[in-house]
Amino acid sequence: MSHVDDGALHAYLDGELTPVERARLDAHLAECDACRARLDEERGLIERASQLLGLAQPPERAAPPPLHQLRHPRLVWRLRMPLAWAATVVLALGLGYYAGGMSFRAMPASRVGLADSAPAVAMSDENEAAPAHARTPAPSAPRTPQRAAATEAKAIIVGAVRQDTVAAATGAAGAVSIRVPELRPVPPAPAPSADKVAVQRETDVAAARGRLVATEWPVIRRAPARQLLGTDPVGVPGLAVREMRSSPAGDGVVLVEQQLDSATVIQLFQRRAEQLELARGVVTRGEAPAARAAAPQMQAYVGTERLARFIGPLRVEIAGPLTSDSLNKLLELLKPLP
Amino acid sequence: MPEDLADIYRSTYRALVRFLYRKVWDAERAEDLAQEAFARALVHKPENARGWLFVVAANMARDEARRAARERRHLTLLKSEPAADTREPEAEMDAAAQRTMVRVALDQLSPRDREALLLWDAGMSYDEIASQTGLARGAIGTTLARARRRLVEAYEAGREGGGEHVARG
Repeated sequence: MSHVDDGALHAYLDGELTPVERARLDAHLAECDACRARLDEERGLIERASQLLGLAQPPERAAPPPLHQLRHPRLVWRLRMPLAWAATVVLALGLGYYAGGMSFRAMPASRVGLADSAPAVAMSDENEAAPAHARTPAPSAPRTPQRAAATEAKAIIVGAVRQDTVAAATGAAGAVSIRVPELRPVPPAPAPSADKVAVQRETDVAAARGRLVATEWPVIRRAPARQLLGTDPVGVPGLAVREMRSSPAGDGVVLVEQQLDSATVIQLFQRRAEQLELARGVVTRGEAPAARAAAPQMQAYVGTERLARFIGPLRVEIAGPLTSDSLNKLLELLKPLP
Repeated sequence: MPEDLADIYRSTYRALVRFLYRKVWDAERAEDLAQEAFARALVHKPENARGWLFVVAANMARDEARRAARERRHLTLLKSEPAADTREPEAEMDAAAQRTMVRVALDQLSPRDREALLLWDAGMSYDEIASQTGLARGAIGTTLARARRRLVEAYEAGREGGGEHVARG
């Protein structure tokens, strides 16, 4: 038998030779020092390669959900949509009936009470950093100390009260309504047991703080937004634009808020990419602090990781109470607003 | 069949996540894709579920990469507040740097060599790799030999040449 090639040695070491091939190779190795030496060499190579691949492991994470709980996005969607509609209709009727039974004067206070008792309105609750739109009382409502504190946190959103009441009611009934398929909302605030959970919670709070800051931005009309960006602002086609705002820092950042459903608002921070591109390349996760410091000031608005992409001349970052996977999918849908 | 899939889920889930992770380099994304692959398997009930899962997973990872390339978009994950409390322990920094170096080395393999190597590392047999990649079964040993050699050489070259740079980045 002539000398064996590398492929055969690897197959031999991988235990993938047939018994006949194996016997033949064993016989050759028994009498060929050169091939035995190469066999040792290849064995070292296999171990080294396997060791290197071992360095590229994903970090250990929590156990995956049981198989039967895995949700096929499309199936889930098929079920979820009618349920969400049904819940919304029932709640709208219920709310109308409820409100109809109240005197005009008493109504705002009751609504505030309803918002307070809603368990699933805000994705991160507990303090003044909770999303403004779910917490803002009606302007005419009598203020409890907590309400006043929330207001002091400057969480007022103009014109958001009616939607919020509906949002609160939707949350109270536990309805999860999402308009775009394959989206998953961030799960309701978890019990703060594991460290990981605590960290997640902190980022939620930080994100909520970022949103608070952004909701203070002045509301602008379409034309000035277009002027700031030098092109049409972008958004998810088919979703209602709630507000457009501009950064008070005068850095040309435009914020487009879109209503995903009655309880969910996504934020799209956008600006011209050109200045940015001159200064740096693409910032990737784990980049050196120096490079990150040179990154745009946009990121300072929210204290959490934010997904971003370039669309034509714009650089757009997305934020919202959804998983990064869902945000990523929304990001892919962005088009210039009609 | 569902029991079979449940067994495969238990035995293969981690391997599938690892396989996907080395393609998308995002642990969360890799888990999402792996779970979606299993969710699809629940619906499609494929005969050879294990092989099917890896085919679907590879396709999903490839589709993502293609779409990204086609649209020439830059998807970036920004981390704000770089100075505050984000300092990683030394060990984690080292691990991250090593991971990056392995990633760079893997990128230097041909797609076919890389695929074969990742499938082997995910626990696939030569037969399974052959049916997955379309390579002849007899060529798998040679392919793996080449892939392993290139991986090790590229990694060592990176460590000697650009290692310092990579470690800082």
